[in-house]
Amino acid sequence: MKTALVTLLGEIRKNLLISWTYRANMLVSTFTIGFVFVGIGFLMGQGELNPDQLASMFLGYLAWFYTLAAIGDLSWGLRGEMNAGTLEQMSMSPTPIGLVLMGRVFANLMLSTAQILVQGCVFFLLLGIRIPMRWEGIPVLAVTLVGVFGFGFLIAGATLVFKQFESFANLMQNALLFLNGTILPIDVMPGWLAGIGKTLPSTQGIIVLRQVVLDGQSLVAAWQDGSLVWLVVHSAIYLAVGWLVFGYCERVAKVQGSLGQY
Amino acid sequence: MESRSAIQIDALSKTYRQRDGTPIQAVRNLSLSVPVGQVFGFLGPNGAGKTTTIKMICCLVKPTSGNVRVNGHDVWRRRSAAIRQIGAVLEGTRNVHWPLSAWDNLIYFGHLKGLWGKELTTRAEQLLRELELWDRRKDLVRTYSRGMQQKVAIACALIADPPIVLLDEPTLGLDVQAARTVKELVGRLAREQGKTVVLTTHQLDMAQELCDRVAIISKGRIIANQPVEELLDLFSEEYYQIKVKGYLPAEVTSRFDGLTIEEENGNTILSGPIADQNALHDILGRLHDLALPLLSASRAEPDLEEIFVRMLDTDGAREEG
Repeated sequence: MKTALVTLLGEIRKNLLISWTYRANMLVSTFTIGFVFVGIGFLMGQGELNPDQLASMFLGYLAWFYTLAAIGDLSWGLRGEMNAGTLEQMSMSPTPIGLVLMGRVFANLMLSTAQILVQGCVFFLLLGIRIPMRWEGIPVLAVTLVGVFGFGFLIAGATLVFKQFESFANLMQNALLFLNGTILPIDVMPGWLAGIGKTLPSTQGIIVLRQVVLDGQSLVAAWQDGSLVWLVVHSAIYLAVGWLVFGYCERVAKVQGSLGQY
Repeated sequence: MESRSAIQIDALSKTYRQRDGTPIQAVRNLSLSVPVGQVFGFLGPNGAGKTTTIKMICCLVKPTSGNVRVNGHDVWRRRSAAIRQIGAVLEGTRNVHWPLSAWDNLIYFGHLKGLWGKELTTRAEQLLRELELWDRRKDLVRTYSRGMQQKVAIACALIADPPIVLLDEPTLGLDVQAARTVKELVGRLAREQGKTVVLTTHQLDMAQELCDRVAIISKGRIIANQPVEELLDLFSEEYYQIKVKGYLPAEVTSRFDGLTIEEENGNTILSGPIADQNALHDILGRLHDLALPLLSASRAEPDLEEIFVRMLDTDGAREEG
């Protein structure tokens, strides 16, 4: 238990230190991705930046941003470790690799939160977006992120087994922006597309987040109407499936000998 | 009395499958034992199965059959206990994080092994001082020379003071000076710290100098596994060195097949295995016919490289036969 905890903290520290080394890149990417939000907001407002529309979009963007970061870190980031041979060294810890990667996830969560806070401040100041400060949004976001990181583990497992899977992950990162309800609400999409959208990791989180933060719905009400229940179930399924798939893929990677190969 | 094994490998096999399902047998029914406190050389040509075997010992590649025990712990059944016995530097990769400093790498790999606090910082300082990296401990590893980077990788493998150290091609890509530093370090690990070291290398002079015992692997099979001295004795009876004045004309070198021909300060040295006295006299006669004055002819000790090449040749001929 002590070893696992020390390893977890060590992994968080390592990821934060590496990000600090690349702080300039990180700052640039914070603003580059921020421009995506502004650009889409501009298009959706048909040439205008409407603060009310942007507030709704921002909550979707928030969930997408965490998903983007989780997928990137657990695909490209993991691939980088595989190529450098550090994943094999990581696998030689007495702590199971899945738990070591949890440290990576926590570090990612901290960094993404810092980035989104910077972006949020800029958007609020420059675009006049106003989002009601309702604490109920925090547990909803937390449950959403559980599903997002469960999905991240699924991606990480596939990265261990399939060569160049990270390119597919990249495609998924971008597709999610359009399919998880960030830009267009799910209920205005064609039925089949809405069906796909509803299964994605952050979609239900965005729906509940908007209900609770923008519409002022209480958590009890969200639970009673089933939307919060579905979010919890959705996230729990993603976490369980992600964890199981990762464990399975790790075993396959050890059979294939692909932990340290590109 | 039989010495205790640090690593015990029994009937280990590994078959990879290509995308089309074609099997590739990387390791075939390999059994060996590495005694505690020895430097064990694991030699073989590229693709022989050395790295796969090392990775199976490290629990990074799952064997198709057979098992591996390190200090008595089965690496698949008691992974956590087994992995604590091992520190490894693997071939062809960085092994450490280049965007971190040497210090932060050591702290990180210490955390991975469950070390923390004063115990960890003391050990990290000791290793960095020992490897003469202390003054640059705060610099990012990516700014180091290749030799220094390899020293950091070795330090990270040693951070938890494991009794067994696996070094897969530790001098690959290093210049002469850096390779010598690593060689001295490996020597110290075994002689001064009593660690069991498994070393794979293509630098056979290094293996000859450092190893107590050597296993030669070819096409996934062990073709020799003996103490270095015994291995060198295997061919010494029939190994000769003949020195003549002048150079051997290029068109006649084929008459001396099986011998290594070197030119040195106006002389030619022919060395290699010669089956018996009759064959020796026959060769000397041929050199006499070429009017090359004989300077010396003596029985010589073959080096590990010569043994290695001959064993592989013999094995190749046996397979073809």
